[in-house]
Amino acid sequence: MGTLVLSHVARSFGDVVAVRDISFTVPPGTTFGLLGPNGAGKTTTMRMILGILVPDHGSVTWDGAPVDGRVRARFGYLPEERGLYGKLKVRDQIAYFGRLHGVRAPLDARRADAWIERLGLEAYANRPCAELSKGNQQKVQIACAALHEPALLILDEPFSGLDPANAEVLLDALRALQAAGTTLILSSHQMWQIEDLCESFCVIAGGAVRAAGTLAELRAAWPTRVIEVEPADDALRAVLDATPGATRVVSTNGRELAYEVPAELDPAALLRRLVDAGAPSRFTRVEPSLHDIYLRVTGSAA
Amino acid sequence: MIGVVFSAEFLRRVTSRTYIIGTVIGALGIVALALLPRLFAGFGGGSDTIVLVGDPALTTPARTLLGSDYRVVATLPRLDATPNAAFLDAHRRAQAVVVLGRGTGGLRASVYARDPSLFRTAFRRDLAPLQLSLATGLSVAQVRQRTAVPVDVHDVGGRFASASSAEAAKGVGYLLSFLLYLAILLNAQSILASVAEEKTSRIAELLVATIAPVQLLTAKILAAAATGLIQLAIWLVAGIVANSAGGGIFSDAAAQASNVPALDALALPQGEVIAFIAFFAAGLVQYGVLFAAAGSLINRTEDIGSVQGPLVLPIVLGFFFAQMGLQYPNATNTVVASQIPLLGPFVMFTRIAVSSVPAWQIVLSLAINVGAAVLLAFLAGKVYRVGLLLYGRPPSLRQVVATLRA
Repeated sequence: MGTLVLSHVARSFGDVVAVRDISFTVPPGTTFGLLGPNGAGKTTTMRMILGILVPDHGSVTWDGAPVDGRVRARFGYLPEERGLYGKLKVRDQIAYFGRLHGVRAPLDARRADAWIERLGLEAYANRPCAELSKGNQQKVQIACAALHEPALLILDEPFSGLDPANAEVLLDALRALQAAGTTLILSSHQMWQIEDLCESFCVIAGGAVRAAGTLAELRAAWPTRVIEVEPADDALRAVLDATPGATRVVSTNGRELAYEVPAELDPAALLRRLVDAGAPSRFTRVEPSLHDIYLRVTGSAA
Repeated sequence: MIGVVFSAEFLRRVTSRTYIIGTVIGALGIVALALLPRLFAGFGGGSDTIVLVGDPALTTPARTLLGSDYRVVATLPRLDATPNAAFLDAHRRAQAVVVLGRGTGGLRASVYARDPSLFRTAFRRDLAPLQLSLATGLSVAQVRQRTAVPVDVHDVGGRFASASSAEAAKGVGYLLSFLLYLAILLNAQSILASVAEEKTSRIAELLVATIAPVQLLTAKILAAAATGLIQLAIWLVAGIVANSAGGGIFSDAAAQASNVPALDALALPQGEVIAFIAFFAAGLVQYGVLFAAAGSLINRTEDIGSVQGPLVLPIVLGFFFAQMGLQYPNATNTVVASQIPLLGPFVMFTRIAVSSVPAWQIVLSLAINVGAAVLLAFLAGKVYRVGLLLYGRPPSLRQVVATLRA
């Protein structure tokens, strides 16, 4: 177990600045979501953590020490672009990547079999990887990345290309790794899965950190909330229109009134005013979702 | 970690179809090279069958004299009619009838052949001792004895005991330089294919997350060297077996005539074996790292052909100079080529095999080629390291140069 700390790391490729200034800390045994639009610098950041790329500035440390070959052997990596030897059989492939991380025979084969069973790949164990479907190849790749029981596992878009059933298998595998104390760093555009799995997040865009923290912290820093009120009658609308800082937003179902209000607005006081003015049947203060925060922070549309 | 990649690479290579087919075709090619002369000789033997006609005092010595180039299937004292194709067919489908008689100038031969071109130089040369015997009254044996000039050829380098052993060495040199060429070319190409597979399938990114690119490249070169040496050993054994079975081109007829067994002719001096391995290693590293760097720059396997074309050129050039070196091992061109990186391994090894090369030239060539291998490994390693993670458009020449200068 160790703590990963990125401190002001930056990396350019010629004139192109991929990562401008990124700092974050991943405590041991936690699951960390690294979010950002395409080209934000996520993959470059992950490659710097893994030592594939050397930062131009800043530092990456694990347990207070720079990440060297010995430490890197305890990391696992699932890149966004999957890579497998097409002619190599599934079991041999998984065992080989285990050996590359220092798992000796015959433990490599035993663990490979355990992962094959966990991921439901028994029928393909002795088939060349090229013969597998994309989803099954992805599962093999996960096993390759995790066979050596890494202290830190970095997964770049682990759910892309998986059907719902296979995504569920992967989620189960990741939860098992969480339970075993593995530190996970996930990058994904599947916000609901990330929100469900991760304890803390870092949203980056343009090579810099735009927001970081737990979901509660991100929400606490969020400047507005959405108030939903039913029914959408004139009396209630008048109260909301008169509320300082309130802005009408598009209702999700068309039957309600939806207003964005300052986060510090007292919901109890507003509710009292609404009750005094009319007969609200539903009053909801909606917390921003990770998806909302992501879109607002990165300034992009879904 | 190098060991893990090495063993995986080694296994992948030796079990790959390309390697197995390359090794088998190489061995078959060598066997064919050794046996073809015998095979052609066999065909020739069939076409050179003759019927000898004439006085036994002439046909008996003629039969012996012609024996090395023609096979006499029948000897007749006289002909009843001018021989035709039916006559030849009746005499074991012979190719010609040779009628020997005495004329004003001594021996006179009349040939009735299906293919008259077969009875030119060799036929006249073979019968010359009989002509001299008739003119001088000496026996054929005496004539042959007196016309044989004893020649002692000495190697000023002190390496070869006789002309025949030098000739045999030339045959061995030819075989070995051909093997060296094949082994370096095939194994360098397999390095390129392996790097290209890892690059195009994105395995490279996973590998460099666990092992430094220089270690990865080292493991690949070592695996290629190991598979290359196995391939060479198989080819060499095939060459030795085929040579001893067929008496082919790898041991000279003169060596055989002087009772030098074929296997002895191929038994290499220890120094030559060491030189062979050293130059193979120096050559494979030079070409291996270049091919690896080229493989790291491509994004699609279809591009393999376009990047390896320019790299094959020095190999072909080296082989060309090596062939020149077989005939003219000490010509200025050959000596210079044997000191040039990339060409040296082929040319110098051939020179070593067929002549007495001054030790300083061997040491200099080895030093230059080992130095070049180190330099190329350093430069190509830089390109490889960057190229592995470079996706999208292939880098321009300017980018490659910038990488080398970084």
